[in-house]
Amino acid sequence: MLLLIKIIIPVSCLVALLDYFGIVALVAEHFAPVMKLFGLPGEATISLLLGFFINIYAAMGAIPALTLSPRQITILAVMIGICHELPVETVICSYTGLRIPFSVVLRLITAFSAGILLNLFYGMVLGG
Amino acid sequence: MDIIILLYETIVSTLVSMGKIALILVPVLIMIELARHFKIIELLTGKIKGLLKFISLPEEAALPLFAGIFFGIVLGSALIIEYSREGFLQKRDLLLIGIFLSISHSVIEDTFLFSVFGANPVIMITTRTILAVIITRGAAYIFDHFSNKKVA
Repeated sequence: MLLLIKIIIPVSCLVALLDYFGIVALVAEHFAPVMKLFGLPGEATISLLLGFFINIYAAMGAIPALTLSPRQITILAVMIGICHELPVETVICSYTGLRIPFSVVLRLITAFSAGILLNLFYGMVLGG
Repeated sequence: MDIIILLYETIVSTLVSMGKIALILVPVLIMIELARHFKIIELLTGKIKGLLKFISLPEEAALPLFAGIFFGIVLGSALIIEYSREGFLQKRDLLLIGIFLSISHSVIEDTFLFSVFGANPVIMITTRTILAVIITRGAAYIFDHFSNKKVA
């Protein structure tokens, strides 16, 4: 739990500062076309990147700063769930003989396709 | 001044959402520890032969696979690494476990955490499991096909 506090509070402060100085908006603008494939706003890029490189808790530190619908949170959650904490987990997985670059690419591709598929699925079911 | 107020507000709202997370996470972590202690996974392994057969893994693979799925890669790593060293499993099977776990692991913790923020837990678990099964099955097919060719 202490570990959680050590990660989440600095991360959420960092995100708030990045937001304050307009960096979030800048990143969001660049990635907005990609994120649109997943039905997510550009701002969610921050949470996704934090999840990829640090871990799930860091990604969550960035979520309260975003305003997301339940649909968007579910999509984001699945994508981060598949692809997170790459620096640590790919090393552990490499013990099974799964090479690290392969494992990174596999998880990124799966996460992105899951995002696209879920977005399509939601679009079909809810018609939106 | 603005920045200080901003940081203060961020810390307060973060603490609130962390309180919510803790309320859910602590019982879940206790349950996971208890499950580990009482070796629940070992009891379950007999009942999931069907799934294992579908992704073409032997029964011995159940333990590391399910430890990873339920406890997460970091907690289950002890088992995973032990299995890779002891040579209980063939290289191919070990690799398939790695692929499956890459996509679907610590499903319990992750799902609970994100449901705090309003994510749909059913959709999360189903998507990850289905993708993991399909990709592992595909990898098994490619792997067997490829290595057969090499031998012949």
